[in-house]
Amino acid sequence: MRLLPVSYAVRNLGRSIPRLALSVLGSGLVVLLVLGAGGFVRGMTESLRRAGDGGNVLIMGIGSEESIERSEIPASTASLLQATVPGLRSEGGAAFVSPEVHVQLPIVAGNGSREGRLILVRGVTPAALLVHEQVQIVEGDWPRSGHDEILVGRLANTKLGVPQDALAVGQSVRIDGRDWHISGVLAAPKSLIDAEIWMPLNDLKEATKRETDSCVVATLGEGPEAAELADIQTFCRRRLDLEITSMSESAYYSRLAAFFAPIRVVVWVTAVLIAAGGVLGGLNTMYAAFASRVREIGMLRCLGFRRSAVIVSLVQESCLASATGTLIACAIGVFFLDGLAVQFSMGAFGLRIDAPALLFALSIGLCLGLLGALPPAYRCLKLPIPESLKAV
Amino acid sequence: MTPTLIECRGLARTYRRGPELITPLDQLDLDVDRGDFLALMGPSGSGKTTLLNLIAGIDRPTGGTLTIGGVEISGLSNGALADWRSAEIGYIFQLYNLVPVLTAYENVELPLLLHKLSRRERHERVATALALVGVADRSSHYPRQLSGGQEQRVAIARAIVTDPAIIVADEPTGDLDRAAAAAVMELLVRLNREMSKTILMVTHDPGCAAHANRTLHLEKGRLVESGLAAAH
Repeated sequence: MRLLPVSYAVRNLGRSIPRLALSVLGSGLVVLLVLGAGGFVRGMTESLRRAGDGGNVLIMGIGSEESIERSEIPASTASLLQATVPGLRSEGGAAFVSPEVHVQLPIVAGNGSREGRLILVRGVTPAALLVHEQVQIVEGDWPRSGHDEILVGRLANTKLGVPQDALAVGQSVRIDGRDWHISGVLAAPKSLIDAEIWMPLNDLKEATKRETDSCVVATLGEGPEAAELADIQTFCRRRLDLEITSMSESAYYSRLAAFFAPIRVVVWVTAVLIAAGGVLGGLNTMYAAFASRVREIGMLRCLGFRRSAVIVSLVQESCLASATGTLIACAIGVFFLDGLAVQFSMGAFGLRIDAPALLFALSIGLCLGLLGALPPAYRCLKLPIPESLKAV
Repeated sequence: MTPTLIECRGLARTYRRGPELITPLDQLDLDVDRGDFLALMGPSGSGKTTLLNLIAGIDRPTGGTLTIGGVEISGLSNGALADWRSAEIGYIFQLYNLVPVLTAYENVELPLLLHKLSRRERHERVATALALVGVADRSSHYPRQLSGGQEQRVAIARAIVTDPAIIVADEPTGDLDRAAAAAVMELLVRLNREMSKTILMVTHDPGCAAHANRTLHLEKGRLVESGLAAAH
């Protein structure tokens, strides 16, 4: 099959600049939307996945497997675990066992703000930095116990709806009428922890008037002597008095991810519905573009170009327009959407515009080019040549 | 080699428009010799363009046979018919039908893209065709930059660039002023006389028809009169 030159398709794009702009804009918006939806889903999934470490085990109250925040366990659990289960990870005498309190508290931040917003506050000891290896203090210092100091996550401002500088080191936030000074900023890239507030365990217990912990996070050791999840499960079963249970941290966050699956489905369905509207708009534009060239298409067939050759040329034209829109959308996605903070009930996460999301968006752009061209091309080419040549 | 290039026997074309059966061409017998210059005349709807389209291979008869150069073209598949057209037919349209986004040169080059030719061979042929029709100096111009007469000359160059046996022209002067029309007719006569091209031309203008060797009059799909032009 002899094809029409690609330059024919390229130059046809310039026939109507408003139409070209519409095609590029339409495909770009659809791809941007898909990229946003993909980035949202991947960001949420990844932040939940990264919040959990495969080598960590959570010990929490029986019946609280769905939410650590509802869990209450005796404060002695961490030391009992450490003493009873050998083979937990330790380095330089420091055991990787972190007793923690997780609680959603209304926080008032920023000047002039009066209403508090709920955010996850985690009461921790320095051992938390051992078990949560993805966490780093990127600015300032670890909060001193008894000094009303806290660490804030980099995305906490998103959750609280305040500018980043309202949560800078040296600033303070108000919790239940009491000021807490920000001693440092923590980062846990692409993890839910990035939107949390951490404070010394005892300070949080004192502020919330509780004596129990929410959970203990323990890291399993390595090598033949290392403890396994089963050992901790045995410990939990034997200590009936503590009323505790255990599961791997990654399993806990996987269950959370599954809990949020309907949200991801709704995001995709919304994106698909809007994209379908975009495709219909694109079809309309292409119908108009091709319909104005029916006589020319008839002439090309009259010269001896086959239907398939004309279709390839029309598809090239449509794909070029949609590819331009797609590339612009991908550039916007990479430079402006990637990492954009989004808050949800569990905290906040950054949109994740990574290679799979871009690949998906590019394939959608290609599909738009194809879908946008084939029905209008078929409509133009189904006319017999003499009819095409009579077209106005 | 037989002098008859085109043989129509009982050629018919009917189509349905709603409940009505239209017969633009009915049981037509016609022989056209190689090198002939035939003018087709008749009132609107008499079947002139239908006959032209059938001979050009862009329409198919619903009855009879149509043999061109020994090939029964109504039996060819769509693909084979497209290949046959690209080799044997040069089509000149009333409204030129040049591609507006291509230059005169590129418009003329289009039919050559269907043939196995090197870029250099294509260049030589396009240059020759444009020179022959007298618009070599307009080769880099776009159709919008050309006058109607120049556009039609470029269209004629496109029709002859593949060196087809038959040139079909559907009212080639219908959209031109008198001077441009005369120049186009002069060009067609040259193509017929100097290059022995077989030309079939639909026209409403007796003055144009007078340039042909033979004029056929059609009415209601039938041949009603056939004769040699007075000039020849």
